[in-house]
Amino acid sequence: MRVPISWLREYVDLPADAQQIADRLAMLGFPVEEIAERPVITGVVVGKIVAIEKHPNADRLQVCKVDIGGDAPLQIATAATNVAVDQVIPVATIGAQLPHLKIEPRKMRGVESQGMMCSAEELALPAEWFEDGIMQLDASSPLGRDVVDLFGLTDAVLDVEVTSNRVDAMSVLGLARELSASYGAPLRLPSFENPGTDEDPDGLAPRVTLDSSDCTRFIAQRFDGVRVGVAPAWMRVRLALAGQRPISNLVDVSNYVMLETAQPLHFYDAEQVRDGHLFVRNARAGETLVTLDDVERTLSPQALVVADSERALGLAGLMGGATSEVRESTTAIVLESANFEGVRVRRMSMQLALRSEASSRHEKTLAPALADMGAARAAQLLVALGARAYRPHAFGADLGASAAIELRARDVERLLGLRLEPQRIARHLELLGCGVALDGDRLSVTPPAWRRDLTIAADLVEEVARVEGYDAIEPVEPAVPAHDVSSAEYQLETKLAATLSGLGYREVLTYSLQGQQVLERVKRAGIAASREPVEVRNPLSEDQRFLRWALGPGLLEYFARVDAPARVFEIGHVFAQEQSVTEIPVLAFGFSAEAIDEPAWHDTHFLRLKGDCEALLRAVCGITVEATRDVKAGLHPGKTAVLMHDGREIANFGKMDPRVTRSFGVRLPVYLCNIFLEHVPEYRVPRYHPPSKFPSTYRDLALVTDFDVTAEQVSTIARRAIGELCLDVRAFDEYRGPQVGEGRKSLAIRATIGKYDATITDEEADAAIARAVEALRADAGATIRT
Amino acid sequence: MSELATKLDHVQTRFEEAVAAATDERALDAVRVAFLGRSGEVTTVRRGIGALPPAERPDAGKVINAAVERMESALADATARIENRAFEAELAQSVDVTFPAIAPTTGSIHPVRRVLQDAVAYFERHGFATVLGMEIEPDYYTFDALNIPATHPAREGFDSFFISDTLLLRPHTSPMQIRTMQSHEPPIAVVAPGKCYRRDAVDARHLFQFHQIEGLLVAEGIHFGHLKGMLTGLCRELFGADQRVRFRPSFFPFTEPSAEVDTTCPKCKGRTSACNMCGGSGWIELGGAGMVHPNVLREVGYDTEIYTGWAFGFGIERLALTRYDIDDIRRFVECDPDFLTQLA
Repeated sequence: MRVPISWLREYVDLPADAQQIADRLAMLGFPVEEIAERPVITGVVVGKIVAIEKHPNADRLQVCKVDIGGDAPLQIATAATNVAVDQVIPVATIGAQLPHLKIEPRKMRGVESQGMMCSAEELALPAEWFEDGIMQLDASSPLGRDVVDLFGLTDAVLDVEVTSNRVDAMSVLGLARELSASYGAPLRLPSFENPGTDEDPDGLAPRVTLDSSDCTRFIAQRFDGVRVGVAPAWMRVRLALAGQRPISNLVDVSNYVMLETAQPLHFYDAEQVRDGHLFVRNARAGETLVTLDDVERTLSPQALVVADSERALGLAGLMGGATSEVRESTTAIVLESANFEGVRVRRMSMQLALRSEASSRHEKTLAPALADMGAARAAQLLVALGARAYRPHAFGADLGASAAIELRARDVERLLGLRLEPQRIARHLELLGCGVALDGDRLSVTPPAWRRDLTIAADLVEEVARVEGYDAIEPVEPAVPAHDVSSAEYQLETKLAATLSGLGYREVLTYSLQGQQVLERVKRAGIAASREPVEVRNPLSEDQRFLRWALGPGLLEYFARVDAPARVFEIGHVFAQEQSVTEIPVLAFGFSAEAIDEPAWHDTHFLRLKGDCEALLRAVCGITVEATRDVKAGLHPGKTAVLMHDGREIANFGKMDPRVTRSFGVRLPVYLCNIFLEHVPEYRVPRYHPPSKFPSTYRDLALVTDFDVTAEQVSTIARRAIGELCLDVRAFDEYRGPQVGEGRKSLAIRATIGKYDATITDEEADAAIARAVEALRADAGATIRT
Repeated sequence: MSELATKLDHVQTRFEEAVAAATDERALDAVRVAFLGRSGEVTTVRRGIGALPPAERPDAGKVINAAVERMESALADATARIENRAFEAELAQSVDVTFPAIAPTTGSIHPVRRVLQDAVAYFERHGFATVLGMEIEPDYYTFDALNIPATHPAREGFDSFFISDTLLLRPHTSPMQIRTMQSHEPPIAVVAPGKCYRRDAVDARHLFQFHQIEGLLVAEGIHFGHLKGMLTGLCRELFGADQRVRFRPSFFPFTEPSAEVDTTCPKCKGRTSACNMCGGSGWIELGGAGMVHPNVLREVGYDTEIYTGWAFGFGIERLALTRYDIDDIRRFVECDPDFLTQLA
């Protein structure tokens, strides 16, 4: 909201410095987005044209005598065409400083000119919002009065942000009240006495029927003797400084009151309201209304309208209609100062994609009492314009007194950690307009009628803190008591990230929302989606429609982009639409690498990935889990493994299906591991096994087995056969080829054999190996390669 | 005897020639083996003692032993000489230390996680636990339980991504306040970092997904001063000991009193109109905070007469932008290897 500081000063004395005021507002909860400084203007005074003569030497110039309250009128030559005798106008005198001009005595075509009459633009007001030519001031302005001072032309304008709970402060008066309380400076309130006391002329009393509970209060008031014209200069200047274009005296009054009090108003041409009877009702389906912006709108019953018995006249709290608009010929008006349910106005505004200054206030639900205050202020201003005010009629619920809130001084201390005397608390609340009855430590607080946000003691504590200043509260480190909340999940993530980082993987963050094109890519690769993705109902764009069902695609996009060997990981949630929506925390890590020229049965990268996976799990759970072969959508069918523990899949890993890799535009082969965080077992402390003090020995065996006999099977059989002498058995080479025969492979294993209590003898070792060879032959069909 | 002495002289002479010819340790070893080894030349000479008359034998032995001693000492000298030559040669080398390093294959954690971890570490040091949550939450946890009524604009599908009528991607980490309080009796001290989603158009300052860190302390005797104390400490931890922190009144449905928290701009350290980090205001906005609204405490069955608490929610990307002086929030999700390397 744009707030001219000069307007604030009408209600409260403030420091000269705009920044200081802005800082104070921020510390009251009203941050200032911008301080719009005004250019320096000096030496402009109120003058009155007392005579006009034609310029002797120039057809397009006139020479005016202008009275500025001094001894002799000034002689000023002008090219303006809108000048006339008796006009009151701003005069820049000799020595005056205007935004782009310094006024000096000069001759215009031989005639001495002692100053310049100013247009609005020369006073740094928007030219298009004011009359062409010389700006017209109010006849009552005192001659010689400093115009800058009169209108506060050089005071900065603040762009103030108001939180949604404080719609009452979307007003100059509301903010002035806040500053007044904070500075402890008196607030100069305008009167909220409605000057309309006369009974309406016979049969012309406005009536309102509220056919919707979304209108809680409606003040209708008739005025006649209205003359539509230009609003007084002071009002137009204020509106312009506040960013509101002056339109006509009536429209300007309604805008002025709204900016001053936060209460939006609407004026109806009394002639256009059938029987002077207004209805607030739901719009009929298909009902049309041409709004003030000249757009014909087709309404639905969700819209709330103000209507007469025949037709809708306006959108309640949002925008008036064209037919009942005040026009040049209007002489009698009906004022609407109403209170609407914010949700209703907001939904209507959203549905019609139409917003207005009025709706921006109504949608936050104003206090009903503001309707009466707004009507009173409008009536005063209209009467000042020469209108006759009749008595206001109130419809809807009566204004009940606000319920008192009980507050104890110790509540303030308990929440703020700041001890304040009850009297001081009471004073702060009173400065904000509360009624306070003080009884020892207890305060019975009646919130001001214009505020709806004060309902409980904590609300009042915040008010007290705002006036006292949040800065007054001392920062203290709390003694945090013991509690029983576990950090296990976070610690797991942290440890995984640290370990992977140590293994040379870089963490990335990718978007959780993906578009159809990611699904398409997977489909193009010929892969059936393993899970149904979760769809977002209201994405901002199509590339955010689906929640990711795997982290792989995000990493593939990274590999495609880098197009060089890279190692990355991401920890994030993946989602699937099953019977219900499921969400699974996953860690994915992997690398892209140049392909290695090696036999089809060997894949060094796969074994490296497996090594990283095992190292990672050893670090975070202290155990090693044996891999078993499996098939997973998106991974190479012959190069995929899972790690199962307690019947749950901790991880799967393997080479990515080359069709998927290609589909995502990745040139290099990719190896990927997914770890399901919820399945990762808790860390188990490993136990130390001291090495034997005696030397061990080893034997290498070259076995020939069928293809489907795994290294793990062979090792297990050998280990079991060697028994307690076995220190380790591991496969270290594999070979397939014509030498070993069709469907067979050669597997080299090394068995390490030893004892804890003595040096193992060759005889013992040979006997153990013989047992192993026999067991391998019997259980795995393995023969010794010769 | 003299014959033996002559032989010994010859051996000695050849030995000296061989030592002089040896240029490395291996050659010296060969010399040692050839002359002093088990079947070396000196041994051959020594065998000649047996042929001497018994009376001459002790002297002959002494002569040979003295020769062996001399030869060993000569070998040791030669070894030292060769070693020294090698050292001198190596020590004479020099490199251009400014030559670019050969980079190791290092990994890294994401700057967002690093900031998150630093913030969490601060709170854990003060006795807070860390909890994580789910990103899809029912509206009960995102709104109702947080005192955000059904008519609140945030619930109209304008700010949040909805999955169904009642499920949405959490727009803040605050559901973890409710979940933690519902599963634990007070006192409670937790932080909850995590990913959140809002329907913001992506630009240099906004992402539709971002991270927040939520904090919640509920116990007897907790007040706003404690909130100021902890968050001031956090800012100093993250940005430096001279940071100032400002609490401005604000409005959130789930806290009362509420505050916006700002810290002094670590880049310009004050009001510098040209500062691109704070826009000249001198302050960086960190997020919202306040005393937990009594309705929220009541919703989880905590006795508001006994317990008070505070909560806050800060954007982690905002903290990271400020800390690393990053110009554009999109860099966090752009997966640019150079970005990740620079901040690793």
